[in-house]
Amino acid sequence: MGTDRYAYQSRLRRVSPLPKLALTAAALLVCLCCNSVWVGLATVLVMGVLITALGGLPARVYLHFLKIPLAFLAVGGLTILIRSYPAGAAVVAALPVGGRLWGFTAGDLRQAASLFCKALGAVGCMYFLSLNTPVTDLTMALERLHVPHLMVELMELIYRFIFVLAETAASIRVAQESRLGYQGFRRSLRSLGTLSSMVFLRAWRKAERICTALDARGYTGSLTTLAGDYAPGLWLFPLAAGVAAGQLAVLYLERMAVG
Amino acid sequence: MNPAIETKALCYAYEDGTAALENVTLSARRGSITGILGANGAGKSTLFLNLNGVFTPKSGQVLLDGVPVRYDKKGLTALRRRVGVVFQDPDDQLFSADVYRDVSFGGVNLGLPREEVARRTEEALRRTGVWELRDKPTHALSYGQKKRAAIAGVLVMEPEVLILDEPTAGLDPQGVTEILSLLAGLRDSLGMTILIATHDMDIVPLYCDYAYLLGGGRVLLEGTPEELFAHPEALRANHLRLPRIAHLMEVLRQADGLDTHGTAATIGAARREILRLLKEEESV
Repeated sequence: MGTDRYAYQSRLRRVSPLPKLALTAAALLVCLCCNSVWVGLATVLVMGVLITALGGLPARVYLHFLKIPLAFLAVGGLTILIRSYPAGAAVVAALPVGGRLWGFTAGDLRQAASLFCKALGAVGCMYFLSLNTPVTDLTMALERLHVPHLMVELMELIYRFIFVLAETAASIRVAQESRLGYQGFRRSLRSLGTLSSMVFLRAWRKAERICTALDARGYTGSLTTLAGDYAPGLWLFPLAAGVAAGQLAVLYLERMAVG
Repeated sequence: MNPAIETKALCYAYEDGTAALENVTLSARRGSITGILGANGAGKSTLFLNLNGVFTPKSGQVLLDGVPVRYDKKGLTALRRRVGVVFQDPDDQLFSADVYRDVSFGGVNLGLPREEVARRTEEALRRTGVWELRDKPTHALSYGQKKRAAIAGVLVMEPEVLILDEPTAGLDPQGVTEILSLLAGLRDSLGMTILIATHDMDIVPLYCDYAYLLGGGRVLLEGTPEELFAHPEALRANHLRLPRIAHLMEVLRQADGLDTHGTAATIGAARREILRLLKEEESV
């Protein structure tokens, strides 16, 4: 959960999650609907500026996080870009393979580029949320948005116990490895199987003990807690509107330029 | 004055019928630390869950301030408010990834107004020394910090009786001292009644005012730590031992024929004892 660590250090950490959610949602929606190269690029840039200027995240870290989905985006873009055409089609670049041309036309290039940039913009929007808002704040916001109580509580518990179970799994794995449990394919498979079943069993037992511990603290069927104090962050709403307007302006300029 | 909490002939059996507690009668004086000593499987944890109403005894009574506990919804709510339990593994207790929110949970459950929950949460976090960590996610805390956060989560309910299962297990020596000074502070400044289950014998003479030896679900011995240490054979029969210092004094007495009194179990007491022996030697 790399992003969560930075979310806790963000200058926007103490700002209410709702306006942050609103800004993300607005920018994301506009970016996806515009379906344009320049809007996508503008979005990822603006989000980078907001994350570094408002959240205080070093630009280096933002770029590092952008690199992670880049591989997926590149693969996705390529599969859209490269197609097969009959010989003699108007391609920009292509390789002849067995009587057909494998390559792309100008239209393909536009489509792949706009998809790539749109996705990059969307990733930027999601990073604005996840690099400035810890998961626990997010679940709190979902609750305020009247997402069913049960779902929110499950999200919270799952998030917390991902770490507990990951720790358990890691320590079992070390214990197995220290006794040569992962030498050879067959033995690795068997050890992995034991590990999975052990983690499952421990999760089961843990659930029972958590229930006891919650009972002891007066649990009556709902995991209501007190949120820390948030700054209202109302100024983020006009900012969200400004970002959306900027995106639309970029779209307008692009249309004008293309004519 | 009534003891803060006591049991009378408490019996408890698991669902499969194995007896876990048999005729356990004990009491904890208000504003004291009572040690419940016993090996693994002696029934300490079962006893504590009975004291907090998570388990319902088969027979016998749990009394709070001399009044028997009622096992209806209202009675149980009152019991859990007045008797707080801190479990051995803090990962069993901390359910939220946000320390502040986890600690506030018990306060919210009491139905207190928002400001009061916030005040108590802050006080509990400060008292346990995790106030600076409130903005960190739970999984970024060390084991000792998690333990203190778990204690804060119970203190927020402002219980009269605080029960801790193996509070020192898994901590480094400094962590042990920190937790125990915290408990001694709660006893001395708030007059809290504290019960700790432990098999860490060296902490018993330092922090416990009274102690019970539990074995096979029964109370085998009770008394001040010094009185218990006068029965090393009973402790050893139950997979426990004397504190190291008390053991040293026993060896000096039995193997070397020194005239040590049997009760010195702390460094301070042993030092006085040795100085006394030296003085006697000089005067002879």
